[in-house]
Amino acid sequence: MTTKSEIIVATDGLTKRLGGRTVVNGVNLAIGRGDIYGFLGPNGAGKTTTIRMLLGLARPTSGHIRIFDKDIRKERLAILRKVGSLVEYPSYYGHLNATENLEAVRRLLGAPKSRIDEVLAIVRLTQEARRPVKGFSLGMKQRLGIATALLGNPELLVLDEPTNGLDPAGIQEIRELIKSLPRTSGVTILISSHLLSEVEQMATRVGIIAKGELIYQDGIERLREQAQGRIRLGVSDPEAAWQLLLSYGYPAEWDRTKLTVGQADDRTIAGIVSRLVQSDFQVYRVEEEHASLESIFLQMTGSEASL
Amino acid sequence: MFRSEWLKIRRSVLWLIAAVSPLIASLFGLFGLRLQEGEFPWTETLSLMSVLHAMLFLPLLTGIFAALVCRYEHNGGGWKAMLAMPVSRTQIYVVKFAVVMGLLALTQALLLIALIAVGLSRGFDDPIPWRMLLTSFGGGWIACLPLAALQLFVSIALQSFAAPLAINVILTLPNIMIVNSARYAPYDPWAQPMLAMLPRDSMSYAALNLSAESLYLVVLGSFCVFFAAGWRYFVRKAV
Repeated sequence: MTTKSEIIVATDGLTKRLGGRTVVNGVNLAIGRGDIYGFLGPNGAGKTTTIRMLLGLARPTSGHIRIFDKDIRKERLAILRKVGSLVEYPSYYGHLNATENLEAVRRLLGAPKSRIDEVLAIVRLTQEARRPVKGFSLGMKQRLGIATALLGNPELLVLDEPTNGLDPAGIQEIRELIKSLPRTSGVTILISSHLLSEVEQMATRVGIIAKGELIYQDGIERLREQAQGRIRLGVSDPEAAWQLLLSYGYPAEWDRTKLTVGQADDRTIAGIVSRLVQSDFQVYRVEEEHASLESIFLQMTGSEASL
Repeated sequence: MFRSEWLKIRRSVLWLIAAVSPLIASLFGLFGLRLQEGEFPWTETLSLMSVLHAMLFLPLLTGIFAALVCRYEHNGGGWKAMLAMPVSRTQIYVVKFAVVMGLLALTQALLLIALIAVGLSRGFDDPIPWRMLLTSFGGGWIACLPLAALQLFVSIALQSFAAPLAINVILTLPNIMIVNSARYAPYDPWAQPMLAMLPRDSMSYAALNLSAESLYLVVLGSFCVFFAAGWRYFVRKAV
């Protein structure tokens, strides 16, 4: 959707080796301004490692990172001034209350004091602001983490697994929260997850990483297109029918168990059926087959996907 | 940066810990002191009150403070969050170190106040020997520099709270014997607070006769090495 706009996060051959294992391998991310980028992959695929490198918390073994068109190695502080982040699990000081936690960060960022109340309101923690964070539920800590990330009015918001470890209600709550974040200010969001369903409704662009390699990166629509139905044909002698259809130029596929045709309009389907009938095939079924996004995701990432 | 750190330590057990050693020393001073005619009451009181403090508590406190200012970062994932903010790692490291030294200064100040209070309450005739007292307390504080640097390094490197403290205890306990040795004590950074704090002429420890110059050389030398090592480690550390 925004692929043609300004790219604000770009990595080039980003690679990280840890103890002889290549955790991230030649990743080329491209995130445009205003994107909500869903960074997907099974657990252990290299998402967090990639994000840690983006934030300058870990050094790439090789490759380059440019954020806001600046090199992270040379202008880390200038970049981080415009980035808000939540990595893995939320960071907090348990002996302080929510306001104090935010204040400790605010003093580092130099954000205005009024911003604390604003972000508390955004994550709906205003009521709990005076309680020590020790006693917070994981969902509340997660919300406080998001509030912390928002504190500096970032242009780029990096949320690593913000719903990790939450119950379904908590997941729902965080998702609603992220969707409700002000989109007018043009903030770009990078959100990682091991669940496609979690980011599917909000992401405009998706990057899928598996075993350290970026295996897909495009708009969410392209992924949806792939998920769109194929027409399955139940016929007598499907292999012969497949060859017949191919000879007439129809986009038929035969995988030894079923005969399918890809996206086809009504007239094409009618043409196929009449061709089959004329050639004395018996047509038992013409049915639409829906591939879910999830199954495509699983296919791409391999069987170890954690679902 | 300092103000952010201040917020984090304000509601912490650090304050109680800082007061422990001065309190114990005051008890020593109040009940343990047996003065004889012709002695210098202030010098006697100083040696009595500072011997345990300088030999054990001060080095141990250094380790505890260093571990505590890192503890809340390790516990809540604070390093990660703080390092992803627009502050340089050097700055964070220096501030953490300064906080440790600040807490030690507070401890020293409390002990000094306790000492003067003991002296006044017992009605010493001699005027307060400010020069000697300040040299002693200031020297003890400076002698903690290398210890603080090393303990901060260890505390940052190790997630655990207990491990750096154990290292600290292991390195501190030999003090009890080493201060007797003119040969080794001058080169053991852990013995320096004691050598710096005790009045020169009051005790018979052999090592106390050494010159201040050699002490400060060891102190500053080891401080530079430890601090540089810790800083270098922190700047490169992946979190």
